[in-house]
Amino acid sequence: MTSSWTFAWRNIWRYPRRTILTILAIAFGAGLLVFSIGLQLGQYDLMIQNSVRIYHGLLQVQKEGYQDEPKMRSSIANIRELGEQLRQATGIEAITARANGFALVSSATRTYGTLIVGVEPKLEERVSSLPGVIKDGHYFSAVDAQEVLIGRSLARNMQLSVGDELTILGTGRDGSVAATILPVVGIYESGSRELDRNMVQMPLATFQDVFSMQGHGHALVIYHKDVKQLEVFRVQIQQQISKHNTLTVLSWDEIQPGLKQMIELDYSSGWMMYIVLVVVITFSILNTFLMSVLERTREFGIMLALGYRPFDIGRLVMLEALILTLIALTIGTAIGFAINLYFYIYGLSFSGMDELAKMYNMPSTITPQLSLQSIFMGPAVILIFTLLAALYPALRIRLLQPVVAMRKI
Amino acid sequence: MTMVVSCKHVTKTYQQGPVEINALTDINLDIKRQDFICLSGPSGSGKSTLLNMIGGLDEPTSGEITVDGERIDLMNKSQLATMRLNKIGFVFQAYNLIPVLTAQENIEMVMQMQGVARQQRNQLSSEILQEMGLAGMEQRKPSELSGGQQQRVAVARAIVGEPSLVLADEPTANLDSHNAENLLDQMRHMNEEHNMTFVISTHDPMIMERAGRLIKLHDGQIIDMIDQNHR
Amino acid sequence: MNSFHLLISLAWRNLWRNHRRTLVILFAMVLGVWAMIFTAAFMRGMSLQIVDDTIENMTGHIQIHAPSYLDDPVIEHSFSSANPLLSRSLQSTEITAAAYRIRVPAVVASERESIGLVMVGIDPDDEGQLSFIQSSIIEGHYLKDASEPGVIIGRKLAERLETRLGKRIVLMTQNNKNEIADRGFRIVGIFDTDLEAVEIGYVFLTRNLAAKLVGVTDDVSEIAIKVSDLKRLDEVVEGLRQQHPELDIKAWYELQPISKLMVDLYDSFHLVWHLIVFLAMGFGIVNTLLMAVFERTREFGLFQALGLKPGFILGQVWVEALMLLILGLALGNGLAWVSVLATGEGIDVSAFAEGMEMANLSNIIPFVIVGQDLLLANSVVFVLGMLTGLYPAWRAAHLVPADAITRI
Repeated sequence: MTSSWTFAWRNIWRYPRRTILTILAIAFGAGLLVFSIGLQLGQYDLMIQNSVRIYHGLLQVQKEGYQDEPKMRSSIANIRELGEQLRQATGIEAITARANGFALVSSATRTYGTLIVGVEPKLEERVSSLPGVIKDGHYFSAVDAQEVLIGRSLARNMQLSVGDELTILGTGRDGSVAATILPVVGIYESGSRELDRNMVQMPLATFQDVFSMQGHGHALVIYHKDVKQLEVFRVQIQQQISKHNTLTVLSWDEIQPGLKQMIELDYSSGWMMYIVLVVVITFSILNTFLMSVLERTREFGIMLALGYRPFDIGRLVMLEALILTLIALTIGTAIGFAINLYFYIYGLSFSGMDELAKMYNMPSTITPQLSLQSIFMGPAVILIFTLLAALYPALRIRLLQPVVAMRKI
Repeated sequence: MTMVVSCKHVTKTYQQGPVEINALTDINLDIKRQDFICLSGPSGSGKSTLLNMIGGLDEPTSGEITVDGERIDLMNKSQLATMRLNKIGFVFQAYNLIPVLTAQENIEMVMQMQGVARQQRNQLSSEILQEMGLAGMEQRKPSELSGGQQQRVAVARAIVGEPSLVLADEPTANLDSHNAENLLDQMRHMNEEHNMTFVISTHDPMIMERAGRLIKLHDGQIIDMIDQNHR
Repeated sequence: MNSFHLLISLAWRNLWRNHRRTLVILFAMVLGVWAMIFTAAFMRGMSLQIVDDTIENMTGHIQIHAPSYLDDPVIEHSFSSANPLLSRSLQSTEITAAAYRIRVPAVVASERESIGLVMVGIDPDDEGQLSFIQSSIIEGHYLKDASEPGVIIGRKLAERLETRLGKRIVLMTQNNKNEIADRGFRIVGIFDTDLEAVEIGYVFLTRNLAAKLVGVTDDVSEIAIKVSDLKRLDEVVEGLRQQHPELDIKAWYELQPISKLMVDLYDSFHLVWHLIVFLAMGFGIVNTLLMAVFERTREFGLFQALGLKPGFILGQVWVEALMLLILGLALGNGLAWVSVLATGEGIDVSAFAEGMEMANLSNIIPFVIVGQDLLLANSVVFVLGMLTGLYPAWRAAHLVPADAITRI
């Protein structure tokens, strides 16, 4: 059917100006959608990556109920052994145990209440990027070192520097007083407000000692750089812990529901705008399709007289719309893709948005996502809408009466 | 006697691709007041070109055209428009009327642009419609009028502003002989009773027959000029 | 005047000559204008909500602190409230409310848990005029007067501490001698807000009790101020700064730069969004008008033959574009207005509660139409629309007359 393609092609270029304006409208929409969807998805990827990478991990094994009510007593017994068992059984290397507590911490001049976290020094490095962002001092010297690490903001608020001593006063797992004095050996800067301002880290062994944990901890944190592998790992780990029926596996979006919801909210409100825009564009170009049928009434009358079926003419009109839309989508998608490719290589940074970036745990430089989804989803939606728009005039052709149609001018 | 129109050595050449076409060659023509002139000749002989030239719709390549003593070949677009508005009435072969306006509005349109007061406009348009035998058609849109009626409205519009000159380009081409004769009667009537000057290009032998002067064109040149007034 | 009347009636009738085509493009325009205004109303609602939440959430319009308090919020960095000059400044008619607070980091402990938060000592009456607490009590009561011996905590905090109304909790904080001071209090009220961080982050008691605990008499950490006219906020801040150069005086947007940033971001997005939507419909407007112009080539030739100037023809098409724009704008504005009315209080996004919380927003986003946003949307469409209409109008006016006529 080469001839019908040629025929359609020639009809499209009967009014070049009109065709070009129509192509521009569709291409503009497609380019815009490709660009902004790519940017949005890229931003989400980075937000997730960041939050997973810095501290929270991809998955966590916790006692049931701990996520909602993080209490000292909702703990996992023999947590280090369980971690080791999981590492061996699943083959995932990046699994580490943590214990969390709350205490009053005092420097010589200041007292604050903060989160205290016990970590396994060697293993923590595989899971969290925090050990890599020590700006002053050094990381824990041994797995049971009597040392603490604090965040930059907390150090400033408490007027502490490396080498100063920190008094910790809290409540142990058994309700006893947990008190100790430990030196600050390192100060980290993660870029996350929450972690930099409100957390003190110490080796897990030390933590268990101070807070009378007796081998207990609160979470096993599992990291993997590929978020897509999440479900595979979840299943593997679920199998391993099934004999401990009070344990549960949580994924990053359950650990940080806010992040997930913020992304969903942003994405769905983005799509609401896109759909409105696509509908505006559709109606904006509907006249082109409509006129291409209305002003050719006479021509169609002749075609009907020559023995064409209304269906054939309808198909021709649809084919014209399809070719036109595909040309436009190709141009628009190519431009959108080119812009995203540029920012993919050079990065897109918002000036003066560092603060906002920190608050939402995202980098101030955004790299758009380049994936089949980010590139083709927008244009696909436009294609559907434009073809729906072309359907109306194409269906009108069925109403044509050859003799009446031919008499029209 | 002053001339309404005077053409001196008017020549028009078109460039069509590499070929140069002589549409008009050295036309000399004087039109007096109350003339009723018929331009005839085969297609492509230059009738319409000459008519357009006199009406200021087209510029001569060389030569002078004077309308009411003014050199229109020297005018700019805006001056030409004003000249047409005030001095010339046009009647074309078809599509003479603005489709969205009624018969009466079409007639009043030119007067409206000339700044004639509403009451006077209404009166004049009613009178002319009456005179053209179109009484009762005032509120009809062009699409609701027959071809003959449309052309009569066009003539009415052309003459209502009492222009110095009415130019008609094949006004009867799309009419049957009855309507054509009717239209011609009206034009002659206006010519004789209201002293109006008409230049009509046509193939129609009936018009040629009844014209005051018959000018025959061929290949852009005047080949014959017959005065029939005193026949 | 005559020819103007002709121009108007020609344009109007031509607009409806192909009514289907006009309706299609009109629909695109109405939808576009609706989208502009409705989205603007949503964004405006969002940013007003941010400002409101920020201000209600203890920030007020202006805050006064001792110079180093904001960097290091301890009781050491306080200032005396018994300063007659200061009291006089705060009597100004431009200030509707001023609340004195002792606000220091503290730890709260029940029998089972302890949590770090901020302890706020307030004057119940003054505070009630300024922040959310008084209206958010869901159990028990607000601090009755300056002699109230109990404390108020958030609902979520009560859950975390496994405590409830009537129970005692212990507050620990650093006093003015850098020692830990602690004391037990009975919970007399529980408050509930949209933001979990607030429910868990504050405990309220009278300023007298707080002062006793931290070892001061009339010293305060901050004064939060509400002004009568937000438009004059900067002038009020400037005035206070001149009268009290020894104090750190800041407007809400300096205290909460993130809220300000979000508001600015929304503000700048208005224009971007309007331009995008306009472009989407602009192509259609030009195309539709061009179709109308090319169909009428003959007519424009006729107009010229009849002696109407190109300006008249340009004007005729331009007025047609103008009418289309005015119709589109009127209907679009109307539709947006109706849909904002239909949403009532706003849209409930509590399905995304924790996401909203991360963005510091409460769960109901109202749609708010303000004059300035309407003006922006309408002028973008109108000005760009008129410019867009100029092209087809110009095309119509510059068809060569002989050509247009002889093209029959």
